[in-house]
Amino acid sequence: MSGRRRFLAQLAGSGAGCALGVRSVEGEPWPDPFAPGASPRVEEGGLNPTPARWWKPLADGWAECGVCPRACRISEDERGTCGTRENRKGKLYTLVHSRPCSLAVDPVEKKPFFHVLPGSMALSLATAGCNLECKCCQNWEIAQARPEQVRSMTLAPADVVMLAKKKGAPLVACTYTEPVVFSEYVLDIAVAGRAVGVRTVMISNGYVQEQPLADLCREVTAYKVDLKGFDEGFFKRHTGGELKHVLETLRRLRKHGTWTEIVALVIPTQNDSEAEARALSRFVRDEVGPETPVHFTRFHPSYRLQNLPSTPVSTLERCRGVAMAEGLRFVYLGNVPGHPGESTYCPGCGRVLLRRFGMAVSENRLRQGACPDCHRKIPGVWA
Amino acid sequence: MSCDAQRRRVLAALAAGAASSSSLARAAEAFRPGPPPGPKSAPSRPVVAVARREGLAAASGAIDPKLLEAALGAAVARAAGEATPVGAMRRLFKPTDVVGIKVNCLGGRGVSTRPEVALQLAAFLQAAGLPADRIYVWDRTDRELRAAGYAIGAGRGVRVFGTNEDFDERLVEWGPSASRFDRVLANELTALISCSVLKDHGLAGASLTMKNWYGVVHNPNKLHDDNCAPFVPHLVACPVIHDKLRLNVVDGALAQCHGGPSRAPRWAWPYGGFLASTDPVAVDAVGRQVLEERRKEVGLPPLAAEGREPGHIAGAAKLGLGEDDPARIQRVEV
Repeated sequence: MSGRRRFLAQLAGSGAGCALGVRSVEGEPWPDPFAPGASPRVEEGGLNPTPARWWKPLADGWAECGVCPRACRISEDERGTCGTRENRKGKLYTLVHSRPCSLAVDPVEKKPFFHVLPGSMALSLATAGCNLECKCCQNWEIAQARPEQVRSMTLAPADVVMLAKKKGAPLVACTYTEPVVFSEYVLDIAVAGRAVGVRTVMISNGYVQEQPLADLCREVTAYKVDLKGFDEGFFKRHTGGELKHVLETLRRLRKHGTWTEIVALVIPTQNDSEAEARALSRFVRDEVGPETPVHFTRFHPSYRLQNLPSTPVSTLERCRGVAMAEGLRFVYLGNVPGHPGESTYCPGCGRVLLRRFGMAVSENRLRQGACPDCHRKIPGVWA
Repeated sequence: MSCDAQRRRVLAALAAGAASSSSLARAAEAFRPGPPPGPKSAPSRPVVAVARREGLAAASGAIDPKLLEAALGAAVARAAGEATPVGAMRRLFKPTDVVGIKVNCLGGRGVSTRPEVALQLAAFLQAAGLPADRIYVWDRTDRELRAAGYAIGAGRGVRVFGTNEDFDERLVEWGPSASRFDRVLANELTALISCSVLKDHGLAGASLTMKNWYGVVHNPNKLHDDNCAPFVPHLVACPVIHDKLRLNVVDGALAQCHGGPSRAPRWAWPYGGFLASTDPVAVDAVGRQVLEERRKEVGLPPLAAEGREPGHIAGAAKLGLGEDDPARIQRVEV
């Protein structure tokens, strides 16, 4: 049996592909990771150790990771919290460069980006690993796993871009898990894509240190941040991280001028108070910008939060009302297909500019990034 | 809920899962931990046997097999309150048990559980009537075991293997985290021996018998915040470990008082002995004392002064897993 057939058979076997979080682009044969000369060379366990970009050596062979605010101190043969960065003989390596475990073509609205090339498709990929552990993680099978525990494929940055072009996707979206943990791969994809007009976007929890963020912002087109709550106590309990670092990332994104959208997942009884929505909205208005899109998104039970119901639509509507009253101009509802809150309205004249249903754009009235009626410029990446 | 009831609940969930693999939510619910388990035997003053022998281990790492058998045997026997190690194994294990000896091989040769120690424990079990094929010596990966000097396969008829990322598909919610457990541990083993190393840990302070269980979950990388203190006790309290754990042994033939968990020869010394107890908290508390004593001898500050207080030991005592108060532990030299 050829390597490719063997690989596909393994994927097909007992639904393993789905269970392991491996998805293929529909109709697209997987690149053959077993082909002679497949590059890069992957070692036992499916790891692809590549020198990490952000770290510093410590005494006694330890290393301090510089990717996220955890700043993990890692001894030899150990890994950081994300499970993807390993100290080998005193040097830090990322194990997931060019090793996506999930790959699909999605509408950009699924990310969600509502102000980035509406109606476009994005080649979306992830590697294993995450630097947080959110109790409602939707992709925990891959995000909370170490690279050896998921089935991954070999896909060099240039191949990612080539595949995006082939699928007619003007965007590569680094998503599903936490792309900060595979930032070196993101950067290399973004650089490869820039040469051929394929742009790269981040869908992130915003848990990143200053330097990698600056490096990413030089190359990526847009950054979506999941703002998982606006209370330090809740954030710590829910994610294991600290909210202040995410807020700092949002401030930095504004300074870098990188197009930013924010998702606020609203979880019943956990972070759904009017006061929290108001505090979040004021922060965005004052420190990120009132024209930053905010998506109040509906929670559905998953991972360790199986005991809570889905968020009532009325709660999301109340959050949206609060945010708009606080002066945010583009406030959306997420995971509520068909709701008017999915569409984009002109802050000048109030008319619909982009009508959406779920992840589909059913009407786009924007004209060169402006309202066709009152000619108000609408912020975003439109072309 | 009692340990037995909790175990039945876990087994029921496992059985249900075997019949239908699609019920993650139900399985997670079934695994949801009950109240802290409390000590199983609750001796008023648990025994930690300390057996040291002059010349057991040379600084080079070479070990005297006769001294090893004598010292390890003495420690195991005293830990179980028996005259001989075979008697101890008969007291602690049933002939029908499938016994897992969990070793710690993360640091490679020189700072891992020695193969000779694990296989000697297996020999005691065999002498007590357990068939070799129901004794497993295991750790996370074949690679780490090999690096520590183990021959993968059957050693003296005993199965020696790495889990190699083979985890049970069910997600088990436990205390501050949730994990998938080693499939062999979850589904085959009925009794456990934790056989760790006497060593320092740069984050947890000490890596002894309780922290050894980080090697049976799929996400140990998620369990190192706050010196591991919030995680270790709850992990050990999981029924899949707690209800099966019979014996805890610390291999201190060669020990390391600083620079762990990786090998740091500068801080290694031939302690030349073993610690053993049925109480995982007590044996770790004594192990920690030994490390602190050595640190003082070589001019290192206490672990707490380096911000590495091994708070998981006190945390485990609070959770009812054993005794951490040195005044209430019988540290018996044998």
